[in-house]
Amino acid sequence: MKRALVAAALLSIATPALADDDKPEFQHMRFVESGEYLTVSTQRPGGIGKLFDAGAYESLRTEPTCTVAIRIQITPLDSNTPVAEQLLVREAVFDMWDETYTLRLDQPGGSKLIKKVKAHAEVLKWLTAIDDVPVAPLSALPIDRVFVLKMIVQLNPVSGELLAEVRRSLSQGTGGGLDRGGAAFGSFVALFLNPKIADADRVLRIRSQPFFRPP
Amino acid sequence: MFALVALAAARLVFPEAQARAQPAPPPSASPPASPTSPQASPSASESPANGTAPEPPPPAEDADNVEPSTEQPGELETEVYQDHEFGPAILIEDINITGNTATQSQVIRRVLPITAGEVLRASDKRLREARFKVLALGFFRDVTVALRKGSQRGRVIVDVKVVERGTLVLNRLWFGSTTLTPWWLGADVGERNMFGLGIAVGAGFIFARHGHVDDARDQYAGELRVADPSVGGTRWGASWVTTLVHGSEPYRVSGGDRDISAERQRAFPYRRLGMRLGATYNVSPLTRLAVGLRAESISATVPSAPTRELISGETIAVDLHLDPGASRVVTASIGFDRDSRPEPILPHAGDRLLVMAELGGGLIGSSYDFATLFGSYEHYWPVRGNQALAIKLVGGLVVGDAPRFDLIHIADVDHMLTPRALGLVLSTSVPLALLRTRADKPTYGDLGGSASVEYAVEMFRGRGKRRVYGADVFLGVGLWGLADRADLRARDTTLFEALPIDIYFDAGMRLDTDIGTFELTIANAVGRLR
Repeated sequence: MKRALVAAALLSIATPALADDDKPEFQHMRFVESGEYLTVSTQRPGGIGKLFDAGAYESLRTEPTCTVAIRIQITPLDSNTPVAEQLLVREAVFDMWDETYTLRLDQPGGSKLIKKVKAHAEVLKWLTAIDDVPVAPLSALPIDRVFVLKMIVQLNPVSGELLAEVRRSLSQGTGGGLDRGGAAFGSFVALFLNPKIADADRVLRIRSQPFFRPP
Repeated sequence: MFALVALAAARLVFPEAQARAQPAPPPSASPPASPTSPQASPSASESPANGTAPEPPPPAEDADNVEPSTEQPGELETEVYQDHEFGPAILIEDINITGNTATQSQVIRRVLPITAGEVLRASDKRLREARFKVLALGFFRDVTVALRKGSQRGRVIVDVKVVERGTLVLNRLWFGSTTLTPWWLGADVGERNMFGLGIAVGAGFIFARHGHVDDARDQYAGELRVADPSVGGTRWGASWVTTLVHGSEPYRVSGGDRDISAERQRAFPYRRLGMRLGATYNVSPLTRLAVGLRAESISATVPSAPTRELISGETIAVDLHLDPGASRVVTASIGFDRDSRPEPILPHAGDRLLVMAELGGGLIGSSYDFATLFGSYEHYWPVRGNQALAIKLVGGLVVGDAPRFDLIHIADVDHMLTPRALGLVLSTSVPLALLRTRADKPTYGDLGGSASVEYAVEMFRGRGKRRVYGADVFLGVGLWGLADRADLRARDTTLFEALPIDIYFDAGMRLDTDIGTFELTIANAVGRLR
């Protein structure tokens, strides 16, 4: 009976987390055909500025490097298979002696644009502006189909390798070998304070309104 | 640095799909040509096709709501570089560590990838990784790394602020009931940061009440451990373990192969007192080498001529694999461990290889000349985003005159039996005969292993807001086998019926929570209830 109660208690802990915070936020965006490409712009009060709360905004002056990774996918409304993808990485470092910021921004062909900016607020705009960003060749967007744009934005993402190294280190100390140990009806693999190491300081998930190319 | 970010960004997975997309559109106009007033060339391409979109909620505390800056936006220069690092060159004047009350600053300082006096670019990836190197110690709930001005132009002071956490670990909990052992109870606990020095200590103890088997006695076992995973901040680690086992080992004296009643068993008492010294070397973040020395004294009151009476009336000798009276086990070992699983608790990708070899003999003072080779390999393939398929192989080979406790026990390979705990045998249950192969599978063997396939489905992954980070349900099936190699050389039946193999099933759930990790499995439950 006690075993069943333990199992039920564990399940009751697990259930509330089923609907965690992975739901995308809806934002109305502006799509424009520009040359051979479709471009996208976010519109206020939307955008990705909320990636920075007051603390993160102030940290621009103290943290070693601030990185914003923006991944954009376009998928048909009735499918999850993307027809186009775009990855933008934007970084900023602060020179506390000159009180200027050096920005490194993704450019066409994989090159990087290096800029120096003086104003604190200006840095934020450069890191978070989504203005006329080309997201798909028009050839990938048939006229008779409806699409949606999905965006994941990360503040200071952590490399998978580094994250795995930390997770492995934190999960050590559980014994091993062929002596499995454990308790009746299950086993405590380990019981310890097990802090979650997030893969980014903050993540935004955004979804646009459906759109199509007019004939 | 860019590689680092690109790797991280490449890990981003949209909830629904992975990319099978066309190549990304190349002409990326520079991010914000005019950040505040994008060029508008409105076309008719924007059209809500499916209903009207609701207004997105206003950002709660976002930077857009920060007081507008009175500074004049100024673009100082614009260049295009392909360098991996950028920003001003800085000299680290000092590293200032705060927030640590239990952990000594030196423990933190030695894992930092930067040192005072170094000159590097402000964007250097070592600065960014510093936070995670400290977090990986496992002693802190949070770590922040910030820069501030030093005493002269170009010099900076690195502030490392830590928030400590509890480091007490409950590694194991043992309890249950079987025919051999009416009840047993035990636990293994550890402290990962003793005296704030980064040294891990641990202790385990189990008590098992004896049942009605002749000559059986109460059993207990204890273990003390001390380990420094990184001696002086180097890649070397060291460990010391002392074990005491006051046991009672059962063996069958009569009856059929599946008869586990107490009157068909007998037990003999033994005592083991041992010590293990080990050293590890981290070849890379994924790979570790280990070497060890083991010395153990055994005192066993072994029956002078143990026998077993078969159902046919024939009486055969039983080999208990122990020298009577006092004996010693002295061994040297070497091990290899490579773990590339990105998420070790709920793995969906990567693999892990473990190999360990141990050699004991008279030359180094052992009463037993033997060698063992154990290995395990797991590989995980992600399937359709939130599922995983895994193969798991475990095997061992014992050569020579190994003591009983170094042979492979049947519960080591059949997950549906009660496992040994700190070396104590707690059950005499026989494995389920599902394949109708050889009925008299040995309790101890010198060749054994298992091969299984497991299918896991992600129930959910959270961000930790609700204290449960994730859960998987899984279903597994596998073959296990255990043999005394001498038995394999001669047989009087078909090959299939002579094979000491069988099948096992398992299913259950794994939970990753902020108070630890849990595994609830059917095989485990079946093993405890017989």
